[in-house]
Amino acid sequence: MIRHARNALAALAGVSLLASSVEAQGYRLRLDTRGQAAAYRGVRADSVPVTDVVLTPTGGFQTADGLFVRCPTGATHCFLFRPGPYRQGGPLVTSADLTLWGLGTRGLSVRVNGRAGLDLGDNDSWPGTDPPIQLIEAYAEYAPRGVTARVGRQLLSNRLGIVGVDGGRALVRSGRLGLTAEGYFGWGLARATALSVSSSALDPLDDFQPRRRQFVAGGAVGWTGRHANVRLDYQREVERESRQFASERAAISAELRPHSRWSLTAGAEYDLANTWFGTAEATLRYTSPWLTALAGARQYRPHFDLWTIWGAFSPVPYHAVNASVWLRPIPRLELRGRWEQYAFSAAEAETPLVDVDDDGWRFSAGASFSPDQVWTFDLGYREEYGPGASSHGVEASVSATPLPTLTLTAYGSTLDRPLEFRFEEAGVDVIGLDAEWRRSDRLRFALGGAHYSTDRRRPDASGFDWNQTRLHARVTLHFGTGADYAPLPRAVRPQRRAGS
Amino acid sequence: MTAVRSLLPLVMAIVFLCERGAAQSPDRFDHWQHRNLFPRCSSCHAGVTAAGRALWPTAADCADCHDGSVEADVDWQPPSAPPRTNLRFTHGMHADAVRRATTGDSALTCESCHSESRGRMRVRLAVVQSCLNCHQIRTAHLSAPDTSCATCHVSLAAATRLTREDVAEFPAPPSHERAGFSFELHGKLARGEGKRHEVSAACATCHARDFCSECHVNAPEVPVIQALAPDPRSTAHDAELTAPESHHDPGFLFQHGGQARRSPATCATCHTQESCLTCHIERSATVRALPAAGPGRGKGAVVARGRPRSHGVDFSEIHGPVADSRPQSCEGCHVRPQCLDCHRPNPADATPGYHPAGFLSWHPASAYSRETSCGDCHNTGQFCADCHVKAGLSPRGELNAGFHDAKRSFLLGHGQAARQNLESCVACHSERDCLSCHSAQGGRRFNPHGPGFDAATLRRKNSQMCTTCHGAAIPGGGAP
Repeated sequence: MIRHARNALAALAGVSLLASSVEAQGYRLRLDTRGQAAAYRGVRADSVPVTDVVLTPTGGFQTADGLFVRCPTGATHCFLFRPGPYRQGGPLVTSADLTLWGLGTRGLSVRVNGRAGLDLGDNDSWPGTDPPIQLIEAYAEYAPRGVTARVGRQLLSNRLGIVGVDGGRALVRSGRLGLTAEGYFGWGLARATALSVSSSALDPLDDFQPRRRQFVAGGAVGWTGRHANVRLDYQREVERESRQFASERAAISAELRPHSRWSLTAGAEYDLANTWFGTAEATLRYTSPWLTALAGARQYRPHFDLWTIWGAFSPVPYHAVNASVWLRPIPRLELRGRWEQYAFSAAEAETPLVDVDDDGWRFSAGASFSPDQVWTFDLGYREEYGPGASSHGVEASVSATPLPTLTLTAYGSTLDRPLEFRFEEAGVDVIGLDAEWRRSDRLRFALGGAHYSTDRRRPDASGFDWNQTRLHARVTLHFGTGADYAPLPRAVRPQRRAGS
Repeated sequence: MTAVRSLLPLVMAIVFLCERGAAQSPDRFDHWQHRNLFPRCSSCHAGVTAAGRALWPTAADCADCHDGSVEADVDWQPPSAPPRTNLRFTHGMHADAVRRATTGDSALTCESCHSESRGRMRVRLAVVQSCLNCHQIRTAHLSAPDTSCATCHVSLAAATRLTREDVAEFPAPPSHERAGFSFELHGKLARGEGKRHEVSAACATCHARDFCSECHVNAPEVPVIQALAPDPRSTAHDAELTAPESHHDPGFLFQHGGQARRSPATCATCHTQESCLTCHIERSATVRALPAAGPGRGKGAVVARGRPRSHGVDFSEIHGPVADSRPQSCEGCHVRPQCLDCHRPNPADATPGYHPAGFLSWHPASAYSRETSCGDCHNTGQFCADCHVKAGLSPRGELNAGFHDAKRSFLLGHGQAARQNLESCVACHSERDCLSCHSAQGGRRFNPHGPGFDAATLRRKNSQMCTTCHGAAIPGGGAP
C-alpha cells in the first residue's frame, strides 16, 4: 500500500510540475485532520473449574464473585465473560483530497484522495487505522463532450454498491437522446474499504481469505428523460486464482416524475449466482412547500461474496412497508415522522428450543424549531422493536450560531436498548457538545466531546461500569477554487449551520 | 404695495408647504390675532415678491411691538437655510404667476391656497389638493398619473437638500400595492410611455439608480435603469427582494436548470453567478450567462445553500436509487469528497453526519435490524469484527461459552436468528466457527442450506466455495 501511495504521489507531483506552466491550471485541495480520544471496556472470555462454581437460587451457576457461567454437560470447566480491560483509542487521521484541472488539454483532470492515520491509544485498538496509509482514489480523467474516461484507482458508484477498482472506466453519453452507456474493468478492492480482499487488516477473525485480488468488470446503460430516468447495471467479480465468480449481479434503478410534486423511485438487485433478488425498493413521494410525504415498500437481503460460505447459509430477506412525513406548518417549524413495519421470510430453521422474533417495526418522530437565525431546537423520539435487539429513547439538541462563523451544538439523549439473546438491557444517557468555527472559507475548526453514562441491568455481577468520555477535534483547510468550501447540510437532521 | 401685501398669505402658505415637504413645525404665529396689524401678506414676507428681500420677518420686526413693555418678548428667529424639499415650486415663479393673474381677471390670490373660508388671515398650510386642483389633476395625490409628478416635483437626484432620512419617509403610492408590482408590473411602469431608453418621471421622483441596482444585478445592462441618475440616498427605501411565485413550486429546484438555460436573462435580473455557485460546483455555460458579482453591481438575490425539498425527510436513507439512475443530477451540487465522507468513513471522525450524535449507543439495534446496509460503508472485517474482537465479543473458537445467555439453548436453536441476521453473526464469528458443525466433512454435519439455495447455479459459479464443506465430493458432481 505504501508503495502504491508513493507511486501515486510521484505521479501527482509530476503532473503538477508539468502543469505549472499552463495558464489555466486550477486545483482544489482539501486537507483535513481529525483526532479522537476514547476509552471503552469490553469483555474477556474466561473459564473456571466446575468445582469452583455455585448454584444460584434460580437454578443456574455462577462464580464465587457472582458472574454467571455456562457449564456444558460433561465438561470439566465452565465458561464465563469477565469485564475486560479498559482500552484507550486515539485515532488521528489526516486526509488529502486533490483535484487538478486545466492541464493543457481541455477536459483532462487528475484526482487523488488519500489518508494517513495512526492510533495513539494502546495496543492499536481503534478499527480502521491499519495500514497507516490508505489511498482511496487516484485517477486521471479525460472528459471531452459526451465522453468520460478514467484510469487509475477509482470508486464506482452504482446500484450494486460503491466498489473500488484499480483499472479503467469509459462512459459515453448522448445529451440529445439522454442515453448513457459505461463500461469498466480492473482489479477490485474489498467492499467498503480501500484495501484489497487479501489484506490482513480485513481479517481480524483469522478467517478464510482470498490470496489475490479479484478481477472486476461491469457495465451500465441509462436513459434520462424529462419525466423519467432508468439505469441497468451488470457487474461480475472473478477470483483471479481459481477463475471462478466472487459475485455476479445485475440491477435496475428508475425514477418516474409524472408531476412536479410526485415521483416514484424504484430499484432492485438480482444475484445471478444465488438466483435470488437482493435488496429492492419502491418509494412514492409527494412534495409540496409545506409537506413531504413518502410511502414505500422494500426488501432487504444481505449480499456475501462467493469466496465466503455465507451465501450458502441462505440468508433470508425481510419485507417492509414504510411511510415518512415531513411537515412545515410554519416556516420555522419542521415536524417529521417515520414508521416501518417489516417481517422476515420463513427461515425454515425455527425450533421450539429458541423462540426468535421474525418481525419488527421502527418508528421515529421529531420536531425542529428555529425561532430566529441564531437558535435551532430539535427534539426526537425513536423506538424500534425487532429480532436481536430493540431500543427506544429520546434525543434533543440545541444549536446556536451566535456568529456567522461559529456554531455551537449541545445534545443529549437517553436510551433503553434491550437485547434479545443476551442479558444486557442497558440504559444509556449521552450528553455532548460540539463547536464548529469557520475561521474563513478556507479554514475550519471543530471541537467536541460526549459523555456516555451506562446503566447495565444484568442479573449478575457482569453489569460493569461502561461509562466513558470521548473527545474529538478537527481542522480542515481548503486551497484553490471551488464551491465546496461550504459544508453540506446535515444528512440526518436539518439544522442550521454557519453560512447556510 | 397693496398687491404685494395681498400676497402675504400665499407666500406664507408656500413656505409652510415647503416646510411640510421636509421637516414640519407647528405654526406658532397666530395670524388671525394679527389680522388688523398686517393688511397685506408682504408686510412680513416681502421676499415673496421682491427679489433680494427677506422671505421671513426678522426678530427685530416683531420686537417693534414685542419689546417686553408693550407686548411680551418673543423668541422668533427666521429660518437660516432654505427648506429641504423636492418641490419644483419657487416663490418667484408663483409670485409672477399671481402677479400676472391679479393684473388680469384671475381669482388666484394668497388666500386661494392658504386661507380658510372664514376670511383673510385665517391662514393654514397649503394642502396638496390645492395644487392638484389648480393644476387640473383630478386624482388623489399619490394616484396622480406618471406625467403629473414632474409638475410639482423635481427628481430625487435633483432634490439635493433632502437627507436620506427624508427619502426614507416618502409615502408609497397605491400602485406599489398592486398584484405583481414587485415583478413584471413595476418594470412596465418604469418604462412609462416615453422613449425606449427613458424612465418614467414618476419613478425618478422617489427613486434613483442605486435603488434599482439593489435587486437588479443586471442594472448596468438595463437602459431604463441607467436612465436614472445615481443617488445613494435612494437606498433608504426598503427594497424587499421576494422570490417569484415560480420559485415556490416544489419542482422548481429540479427544473430551474432548464429554465435558466432557456432564459438566462430572466434569472440575470436578480441572480449573479454567485447564486449558482453557492450550490453548483461547475461554472457552466448557463452559469456564465449570468453577470459576475463585482464592484458596480448589486448583490441581488442571496441564495442560501440548503437542503432541497426533495431531500427533505430521510433522504440519506433512500438516495441510492436516485443517485444511481441520475448521477449527473447529484454532480451538479456535490463533489466526491462529500460522498466519501459517508461511504468511506474516516475512522477518526466523531462529528454527527449520516449517523446522529451518540449513535454508538444505538447501533446494536440498528445493526441487528439492518434498517440500512452497514456493509455499504463499513467493511465488516475492518470495522465491525475488528472492534468486536478487541472488545472481547468474538468467541475465537469456543461456541458454547454462553455469550448469548438470555436464551438457554441458543446454540441449538440459533438457525432462525442466523438466517435472519447473518451479517450480525459474521461481525463476531468466523467461518470456522460455523464449520465446526455445518460441514459435510466433519463435526455434526448439519446442513446449513435453506430457502432459496440453488446448488446447481452456485456450483457453476463458484465450485470452490462448495469444497469448503464438501471437499472434492460435491453433491451433483462438478470439479472443484
